[in-house]
Amino acid sequence: MAFSLVINIVIFAILIAIPFLTNSYSAYQLGLYLLYGMVGQGIALCWGKGGFLPLGQALFFGIGAYISGKLLQGDIGWGIVLLVLLLSIIVPATIAALVGLLVFDRQIGSGPYFSLITLALSLLGYQLANSQVWLTGGFNGLTGISGLPGIDSYGNLYFFIVGALLLSTVFLVYLIRTPFGQMLEAIRENEERVQFLGIHTSWVKAVAFAISGAVAGLAGAFFAPHQGIVTPQVVGFILSAELVIWTAVGGRFGFIGPVIGAVAIGFLASGLRDSFAYWEVVVALVFVLVVLRMPGGLSGMSLSFFKRFFPNIFSREQAPRSKIIPAKQSILKPSLIFENVSVNIGPVSVLNELSFSIKSSGIHCLIGPNGAGKTSALNALTGKLSFNKGEIFWSDNSLKGVRPFRTPKIGIGRKLQVPSIFPNLSIRQNIDIALWVNRLRLNEFFSMSPYSWDLKLLDELQSSFLFLREDQELAGNLSVGQRQMLDFTMTVLAEPDLILLDEPCAGLSKGETEEMIEAISKLALSSGATFIIVEHDMQVVELLSEHVFVMHQGKMLAEGSLEEIRANKEVRAIYAGGSK
Amino acid sequence: MEALITFALNFIYSSATLALIVLGLAMVFGLLGVMNMAHGEFVMLGAYSAYVVQSLGLNFIWAVPISILVCVIVGWFMEWSIIRHLYKRPFDTLLATWGVAILIRKGVEVIFSRDYKSVNQVMPGTVDLFGITYPSYRLVLVAIILCLFTVLFLWYQKSKTGLRIKAMVQNPELASAVGIDTARLSTATFIIGVSFAGLAGVLLAPLVRVEPYIGLDYLLSSFFILIVGGLGTLEGLLIGSAVIGGSDALISTIFDKTAGYLSVLLISILFLWLRPNGIFSRH
Amino acid sequence: MRRRDFIKSSLTAAAATAAFQTVASRAIAGSVLKVGVMIPLSGPAGLFGPASKNVSQMAADDINAAGGILGRQVEIIFGDAGLPPAEAAQTALRLWRGEGCEAFIGMHDSAVRGALINVFKEQVPYVYCPNYEGGECANGVYYVGETPAQSVVPTMTWLANEKNCKKFYLIGNDYNWPRDTNAIAKNTIADIGGEVVGEEYMPFTVDNFDSSLAKIKETGADMVLITLVGGASVSFNRAFASFGLADNVMRLGTLIDENTLMGIGAENSKNVFSAASYFANIQTDDGKAFAKSYSDKFGSNAALLNGLSTSCYDGLTALDAIAERAGGLSVKEMDAVAEGTAFASPRGDAVMKNRHLTLDIYLSEAIGTDFKIIKTFSQQEPGNFCKA
Repeated sequence: MAFSLVINIVIFAILIAIPFLTNSYSAYQLGLYLLYGMVGQGIALCWGKGGFLPLGQALFFGIGAYISGKLLQGDIGWGIVLLVLLLSIIVPATIAALVGLLVFDRQIGSGPYFSLITLALSLLGYQLANSQVWLTGGFNGLTGISGLPGIDSYGNLYFFIVGALLLSTVFLVYLIRTPFGQMLEAIRENEERVQFLGIHTSWVKAVAFAISGAVAGLAGAFFAPHQGIVTPQVVGFILSAELVIWTAVGGRFGFIGPVIGAVAIGFLASGLRDSFAYWEVVVALVFVLVVLRMPGGLSGMSLSFFKRFFPNIFSREQAPRSKIIPAKQSILKPSLIFENVSVNIGPVSVLNELSFSIKSSGIHCLIGPNGAGKTSALNALTGKLSFNKGEIFWSDNSLKGVRPFRTPKIGIGRKLQVPSIFPNLSIRQNIDIALWVNRLRLNEFFSMSPYSWDLKLLDELQSSFLFLREDQELAGNLSVGQRQMLDFTMTVLAEPDLILLDEPCAGLSKGETEEMIEAISKLALSSGATFIIVEHDMQVVELLSEHVFVMHQGKMLAEGSLEEIRANKEVRAIYAGGSK
Repeated sequence: MEALITFALNFIYSSATLALIVLGLAMVFGLLGVMNMAHGEFVMLGAYSAYVVQSLGLNFIWAVPISILVCVIVGWFMEWSIIRHLYKRPFDTLLATWGVAILIRKGVEVIFSRDYKSVNQVMPGTVDLFGITYPSYRLVLVAIILCLFTVLFLWYQKSKTGLRIKAMVQNPELASAVGIDTARLSTATFIIGVSFAGLAGVLLAPLVRVEPYIGLDYLLSSFFILIVGGLGTLEGLLIGSAVIGGSDALISTIFDKTAGYLSVLLISILFLWLRPNGIFSRH
Repeated sequence: MRRRDFIKSSLTAAAATAAFQTVASRAIAGSVLKVGVMIPLSGPAGLFGPASKNVSQMAADDINAAGGILGRQVEIIFGDAGLPPAEAAQTALRLWRGEGCEAFIGMHDSAVRGALINVFKEQVPYVYCPNYEGGECANGVYYVGETPAQSVVPTMTWLANEKNCKKFYLIGNDYNWPRDTNAIAKNTIADIGGEVVGEEYMPFTVDNFDSSLAKIKETGADMVLITLVGGASVSFNRAFASFGLADNVMRLGTLIDENTLMGIGAENSKNVFSAASYFANIQTDDGKAFAKSYSDKFGSNAALLNGLSTSCYDGLTALDAIAERAGGLSVKEMDAVAEGTAFASPRGDAVMKNRHLTLDIYLSEAIGTDFKIIKTFSQQEPGNFCKA
């Protein structure tokens, strides 16, 4: 933490010193690229941190510029300036939030559709800016823009720009460290997993997108007095694409990278373009290289370089866990009812009038041959598979049409078949996110206090799985077995009443399997929760469960204790169980 | 009545040429999942091939093999150095191909400079048709495009290679396991895709302005059409072209060109939002 | 640096910049005078760049051979004015504040002109060379190109009369030059009793004019006034002819120069008429001498001369003449003496009136890819836009 702070201080000190080291005109030119860098920071927030790429960010920048250009006319006072700053933040942010909410809600994952929509919106903005001459001055643009009162646009405005950049940098760096920021990064890593932890991920992404719009709009507000003219190019696709390129080359995973990219590439390009015809070819080559080989861009490269010599230089002090959260009381009488649930995908009956119920807590195992529909049953239960026919009730809540992120709120926790963790985040970060789910109040999203939370259950899990204590380790460096354990830990930290585990012992060694079984039993006893465990390994089933369900071809074939199941002729006919 | 016939012919011409332009990208994006942002540049290369052939004094027909040659070379190099490594990373292909697009554009600019070149009409003159006069070249072009699409459709349905491509698209691992050389097939598909773009450029050259920056418009139109028509079917491609070309033509006629373009954008945004897989698609 | 020092140094910097103007105008004789020349090197008007570059260089060399401006040798620095207006303004700013240009000439579109005037804020002399829509009067800006009052009004009136045109279609790109020009054209059309049957403004990147051509046909227009720029003009005119419209519908433009005509092509140029104050093949003595100097200097394969590039020659010559008369390069000094300044021009002797020039206007018809002058309108007045 200290080292990054030092780097940032040095950079801003240099920026402030530029007019004195060179001349005011060079500082003036640099100012434009600092503004572009600001917009790039917003792009980095969405893309590097959130995993979704906005291809039309100039739209928000341009809206800010047009608002500023339109209002900063004639004699103005600081009151108008304040109004301009507010509007140029609020208007783009609102538009971005709307777009984000509408688009993200419809799709999981950030696919190319979001990017293409932002691109199309930028094109739309460009067309409107060109054609609505009454509002924007059309192709000729808005001119006659006053500078800030008493501030020379070619002189001291530069310091205001540096100030704005400092503001956005500090804000974004803080934001990413808050629980909100951590969740955003987790969404990038594995959006589905975050949903199953109970976060309405499209809202998180929409807020991040809105913030990026606000930052872009603020930069735009300074663009107008700086340049003295606002033309449609300021909202268009070409600028949007350049901003992405500069962010990529400078480094999208941090907030200084985009500024470096804009300055190094953009600033130099504008100067060299006339004298060196091949300059843009060089930039394009560097860009392609970055995409192929250096996803972290120039700043990413420098950081790894530093890390090689000073490996711990970027490690941060973690807040000690000091505040113990009271454990949740589990519900007294669980009630899960499947009533004739049927799902067809094409000609295949994935679930075929599946009916069963669970009225007691403890561990229930769900077994059956491949393709029996076990995972599909869990999918239907948690909103991942929609079903039209039949009903599912959990504690008197109907689960028809439920969205996955709502299930933890009604006490359902799910661990997917493939161990799903957040590989580029540390173990501590993974655990924190699981811990916060369902417990954060709105204001706590943006405060640092949740970092100090502790839970008795967490201590117990950390003694079951000792590696969890090395919590600075990146989750991606863990073995498959450890990932399963971490995934399990994350699932149960929310203290769900109904815990769905899909093959928790898959890929585990014999020793690890024992550890896992022990942890599950311990938890079952202490929490009083209801477990449904899908398993293939009969030894595990034997050790864990009191009650077993057997599915076949989308239907429930039989249920009972393991001995009863073993004795059942039909079960023997369709299913050859095995053990490790 | 005359206006209606003219409009109808313009509509057919517009849809057909758009379909031809998009064909290459539909192959590359639909079959390989590669968002080739340099697609428009291959169209541009085709147009420049026509210009070069004209400057050399050769018959226009030579432009076709020359443009194919240029596109094959550039396309092969692009696939080998970049695309091949990024098949599973759609965002990165988007960005990398954008970088390649800039490179191609700058390369052409350095060789030919930035001013507008023009390619002479290879078939000047008009035909009298249904009571109106219409440029003959356009009609010939529409005929060529219809033949091309018919041949393609039949080939894809009936040929062994078509079958192999379908297998590769649906299940690459399995296709590989049964002995289909997926790497070579992917390379071939990409090269053929960009060559179609070049062909579109050649055929359109006498009708459009030729300068290094024309690629961007073609790229954008192509994406819009694929969004509306969906990926994976030739019928979708034609319908997408018809919808985009038609709305542009219709709105431009009723209002003006800007309104026409706006309507295309709005339709695309709506489709992206509500039906991202297009009117009908197999994905 | 402490706050006091920093404020002091910024104030000094501001004062120095203001003083820069005064210092520059009394520059030591013998030091180089940098003149910024903004011409389109890219974009829709990029085809006019090469010739303009040549002519500007020729003008500078001629001026330097005669002793330079106010005894100082002229050094030309080119800037790309083919970029969109804000970007072109940035370039001009760089030439002015970064490179130290003390005067500018501009051969570019009106949108860029507006942006440059916005940047210069009347602090630097600026000669605008090509034809434009008229109506401007800013301190420090001088216009050597024709206005619609000169190039559109008489020519359109005459041609409409000759060819019996009653229905007029106006098509141009979407910015101020076409709109303002058309406003004047509409008055002329009303004066001759004609009817405007269509008026369209196209975005710059449009390539497909089908809907416009269909409308031209449908409305029965007999003359089209074209205010499209560069490449768009080429595409439109080619498509126009390909639909068989060229035989019966007249096309008139004030920006159809030799390069554009080459682009349009001989097979598409029937009934294309162009109105301008200069064509490469005018037969006046000044015109012929100029054409000869140009081909001597740059060879017969050089970029074609046209009215636009030639206006650059006038631009630099005018700058020289006004500055010499004023004895300095400050806006105040030059504005004081601009009226009535005379200088020699390839278009005949030029005299500045209301910051503009009175000019002979030629109406040409395209024959193949050559222009044939069919009517001369002598000494047309630019119009009076400066109230002062």
